[in-house]
Amino acid sequence: MTRLHPFTLLTIAGALPALAWILPAPSGGLAMATLALGLTASRGLRPGLWPAVLTAAPFWLFLLLLHDVPTTIAIGLRITTMVASFVWLVAALEPARLVEAMVAAGWSASVAYLFAATLTAVPMLKARAQRIAEAQRCRGLSPRGGIASRLRALRALALPLVLSALHEVDERALALETRGLRPGIRRTTLAPPHDPVVERTARWVLLLACPAALIWRLL
Amino acid sequence: MKSLTLEHASFWYPATEAPALRDVSLEVAQGEIVALVGALGAGASTLLLVAADLAPRVTGGRLTGAVARRDRGGIVLPTPWTQASGMAFTVWDEVAFGPANLGWPAHEITRQVDRALEQLELVPLASRDPATLSGGELQRVIIAAILAMDPGLLLFDEPATELDAAGAQMVWRLMRRLAGEGKAILLATSALDAVPDVADRVVWLEDGAVRAVGAPDLLADVAVCEAGLGTSVATVWRASGLPGPYPPTVAHAVRRWR
Repeated sequence: MTRLHPFTLLTIAGALPALAWILPAPSGGLAMATLALGLTASRGLRPGLWPAVLTAAPFWLFLLLLHDVPTTIAIGLRITTMVASFVWLVAALEPARLVEAMVAAGWSASVAYLFAATLTAVPMLKARAQRIAEAQRCRGLSPRGGIASRLRALRALALPLVLSALHEVDERALALETRGLRPGIRRTTLAPPHDPVVERTARWVLLLACPAALIWRLL
Repeated sequence: MKSLTLEHASFWYPATEAPALRDVSLEVAQGEIVALVGALGAGASTLLLVAADLAPRVTGGRLTGAVARRDRGGIVLPTPWTQASGMAFTVWDEVAFGPANLGWPAHEITRQVDRALEQLELVPLASRDPATLSGGELQRVIIAAILAMDPGLLLFDEPATELDAAGAQMVWRLMRRLAGEGKAILLATSALDAVPDVADRVVWLEDGAVRAVGAPDLLADVAVCEAGLGTSVATVWRASGLPGPYPPTVAHAVRRWR
């Protein structure tokens, strides 16, 4: 799946949530959520399915508090599709290939980098949070116990996480500038991903399926 | 020929009253290595950012005075992790990131990347994932990434911080070789013992201003030693109560002793 063209991966990740919202509930949402969760499961339980399920779970809880069961199921399945699609995309899409594909398609290199950097932000922040949590644990701060101690641990994690991320943004901007990533550059593509006709056709089918489904629902 | 000229340059970071650089005038010629020394906050890193055309263009702030650059600059910052593109599967790709942004033809990119990897002794690591490298290895990759862009003016901010002794020696030797090829090099470093063998001139910065400029022997000057910026040999010589002038290196000390 990771060898698919980056635009194909993006189209799948975009079309599934769109169709989940357009198609009639709950069957449409159920079908799309099943597909999206199946894709995340294909990346493995730990890196794929678990993060998707754990991220979607609180939404179900809040929906249940606010709505009746049928509405909760209808919206919950749609949100689960969105979450699972994004988790799958982050796991399956290699940012470097996306940049190469976008530049080969005529996009600006800085826009392509910005787009790809958004996808790398999640795993980078996760790894950084883990390092900070380990450092705080070495200093005797336990994330376990009552609500008060958990909140203390959260503060000790969040503050350095946000501050270090902001500091890194400054340095990264300087480093990218000096390495030639400026608005308006014409970057050389060294290894543009292969884009076979089958994939291009599949992308168009998926893209056209969304407005077609919308028209079908409206008529 | 001058690669970089600063005339009465002063620089203020955004929302600050005091300038980080005060009335700095400095020239760096092609083939010359100029070392910036000073205490923390003396302005060496800021001077490099101004020379690299990153301050105030990227950092914001205000610059007065004149800065003239004859050559394209490339700066190596102290922290290697924040300089990696994050878009490369291999060390080779990482080094090629900058040249590709310059829009060079693929064969030229390949030539420059291979050359830079050889210069930094990184050929055995060319296919490694940059995320799996040690700090020292990644620092060498970042230096190679800048060299692959073939800048005429090289700016190094503490390039040896992450390197072991052998790695640091290799980088100092490389700098001399690059200067021999005509590159202009401005180096901010706290590795004072290396400076006499590497630099042609030393600039002592204090509170953002140039306190003194001179030959590398400046690092054995009494005032410099009193400021804690003397080389180890000069500092030991002074602490032993031996008469001045203090020798900056072991070789100088041996000659004096005989």
